[in-house]
Amino acid sequence: VSQGLDHLFSLVQASAVARMIGESTLITGLLSGLHLVGLTLLVGGVLITTLRLTGVALAELPTAAFDRAVHPAILIGLAANVVTGLLLVSPRIAMASANRYFQIKLLLLVAAVTFYFSVYRKAMRGRPLPPGLSARIAGVVGFLLWLSVVIAGCGFILLE
Amino acid sequence: MSVLKFCAWLEATPVAVAVRESLWAFPALVSVHVLGLVASVGLVIWFDLRLLDVHMRQSTPMRVYRQVMPWAFAGFATMVISGALLLSGFATAAYGNLYFRVKVAALLLAAVNAVIYHRVTERRLTREASGLPSPVAARFAALTSIALWMVVILAGRMMSYTLYSH
Repeated sequence: VSQGLDHLFSLVQASAVARMIGESTLITGLLSGLHLVGLTLLVGGVLITTLRLTGVALAELPTAAFDRAVHPAILIGLAANVVTGLLLVSPRIAMASANRYFQIKLLLLVAAVTFYFSVYRKAMRGRPLPPGLSARIAGVVGFLLWLSVVIAGCGFILLE
Repeated sequence: MSVLKFCAWLEATPVAVAVRESLWAFPALVSVHVLGLVASVGLVIWFDLRLLDVHMRQSTPMRVYRQVMPWAFAGFATMVISGALLLSGFATAAYGNLYFRVKVAALLLAAVNAVIYHRVTERRLTREASGLPSPVAARFAALTSIALWMVVILAGRMMSYTLYSH
């Protein structure tokens, strides 16, 4: 498996797209900017929903309205970040995959996405949650998971 | 004192030296800056989407503003403080950087847009009954706000990639 991955990584790094991104500061900067725009959309959506789920604000609005309006925005932000993130990491995928912060970031991302679709979205729609998980806890846990993804991401690009 | 001389003085202050030379200060400040950004701009976008009638139509813009914007301002304060500290460490390079100038211009325009909204547009909103579609001026303010913040974010990232290459 490890050899297969190494082979895949060298193919990715040798691709025309990865070489173009790796050689251009402007393209890298633009992709990084779009990554941050997508992140803003994603975290902003999670944050406003968390305010509602925890009862801190917007209690006059039904939670189902958040699922209808905010869920698409979160999906768009997430999709934008997967695409720009893969492009950004493509010129150095072998190094990144061995980086501790990048590994932590991906694990936290999987956890945040899983929690979002399994618990958080149910809370958004007012569906029954697993025992012991009230909407408030779901709101706080979901938000903190995304926050930890952001912090690990900063660790990856700044401390590599 | 010229702006450039002020930048040079700022860069020589002990705080600025610490930002530049400490192993942990720079990554910590950037992380805090990013967190402040996604919290403040992320929430501002949702208030803008309220003005665009995309979401939270069952509540009035004023009520949404009063409940959501204090959190955005907390994020905004975090972003401004961490941003000022980061800037102090690299002030002269930032001063000469095209993207930094674009970023500052977009921030100033965003502030002007917000002032016009509060002084003119919002007063018209409060006179109208809730449940009506947003007036054109409110929609324009919302779209302007979203566009300007996108420019701030994009220019900010471009700035950090080009700070010492021009």
